[in-house]
Amino acid sequence: MTHLSMEQLVGLREPGLDAGLASARDHLNSCPVCQAELDTLHQRAARLRALPTLRPTRNQWTAIATRLEAEKRTRRRRYAAIAGLALAASVAMAVVVHDLAKPRTADASQAIAEAMDHSKTLERTLERYHPEARVVDGLTAGVAERIEDRIGAIDQQLQAAQMSDQAGQQKLMLNLWRERIGLLGALVDVHVTKATNVGL
Amino acid sequence: MTDAYLLTNADALVVKAQTGDPAALEALYKAFESPVYNLARRICRTAEDAEDVLQETFFEVCRSIGRYRGEGSLWGWVRTIASSKALMRLRRNRYRDTDELDDDAPSTGRQDFHLQMDLEAALERLPELSRAVVWLHDVEGYTHEEIAGLMGKTVSFSKSQLARAHGRLRGWLGEVPTV
Repeated sequence: MTHLSMEQLVGLREPGLDAGLASARDHLNSCPVCQAELDTLHQRAARLRALPTLRPTRNQWTAIATRLEAEKRTRRRRYAAIAGLALAASVAMAVVVHDLAKPRTADASQAIAEAMDHSKTLERTLERYHPEARVVDGLTAGVAERIEDRIGAIDQQLQAAQMSDQAGQQKLMLNLWRERIGLLGALVDVHVTKATNVGL
Repeated sequence: MTDAYLLTNADALVVKAQTGDPAALEALYKAFESPVYNLARRICRTAEDAEDVLQETFFEVCRSIGRYRGEGSLWGWVRTIASSKALMRLRRNRYRDTDELDDDAPSTGRQDFHLQMDLEAALERLPELSRAVVWLHDVEGYTHEEIAGLMGKTVSFSKSQLARAHGRLRGWLGEVPTV
C-alpha cells in the first residue's frame, strides 16, 4: 500500500479540503499508519508552538529612540532645504517669465518650466506613497538615502546657479533640473518596487 | 507573549503613541519586545541579525504608528512588520538555497543511522527559508497565501517548503509514529 506523502499530510491539516486531496482524505480514513503520521505531524507543530520564547540580551530602546531623534533632525534639515529650494524656484520662475520675452532664450526657459513641472509631479507621486511610513530593508533604505543625498546636492547647485548671472546659466539650470528628475524617478522606483514587494 | 496590562490598554496606548509620546512608544516596545525578538530569532540565523531585526521593526513601528487604524490586532500589525523585516534580512544575507542543504547529520565521529536531535537543534538546522515557512505557518499562524505574499514567492513554494521541512524534522528527530 502506498502511504500519503508529507506534502499530502501537510495539506490535510489546512482548513477546507483542497479538491486534489479528496482521495488522500479517503486513504487517511482507512489507514492507521497515515493517521499516526498525521498525529505525529500535529504533535510536532504543537511542540514548535511550545518552544520557549527567546529574549534579547540587551534593551534596544535607547538605540531606537536615538535613531528616531536623528531622523527627526534630518527631516527638519530636509524641510528647511526644500523651503529654500521653493524660494529659489520662485526666483527662477521670475527669471523664466522675464526671459520668455527674449526670443533667443525662450526655448530654454520653456524647457526649464517643463522640467520643474515634471519634478513637482514626481514629488507628488512620492508623497502619495508615504515612503517614510513604509517597511523598508536596510539595503533599500541605503539606496534611497544615497539618492536623496544626491537630490539635496543638486538642490544646492540649483540655488547657486539661480544666484549666478554667468553665461550659460539657463543651460546649467536645465541640466540640473533634468538630473533632478532622473533621480526623483529613481527614488519613486525604489519606493514603489519595495512597497509592491512587501505587499503594502 | 505580550504584557497583559499593555494589551488590555492597547487602544489608549496607541492613541498616545500616535501623538509621538515617547513614553507610549517605549511602552509599545516593552510590550512587544520579546515576541518580536522571538520571531526574528527563529527566522534569522544569528542572534545579532535578530537584534537588528528587532531594532528595525520598532524603528518602523514608531515611524508608522500614525498609519495604524486599528484594523486587526496591534500585535498582528507589529508582527507583519517584524516578519517582513526578518525576511528582508534573510534576503540581504543571501540565504542558502534549500537545495544546498547537506542532509547528512552533523559529524559526530561515528555512524548514527537514527541520529536524534532535540527540536530546537533540528529547527535551527533547517535552511533559512524552510525554517521561516515552518515558523510563520505552524507557530505564527500565517496562511500559505500570506507567507507567499511576505516572501514574494508562490503559494506552491510555501507549501512545498513546509512539507520538505517537516520531512527533514521527522528524520532528524527520529520520530516513528506509533500505530
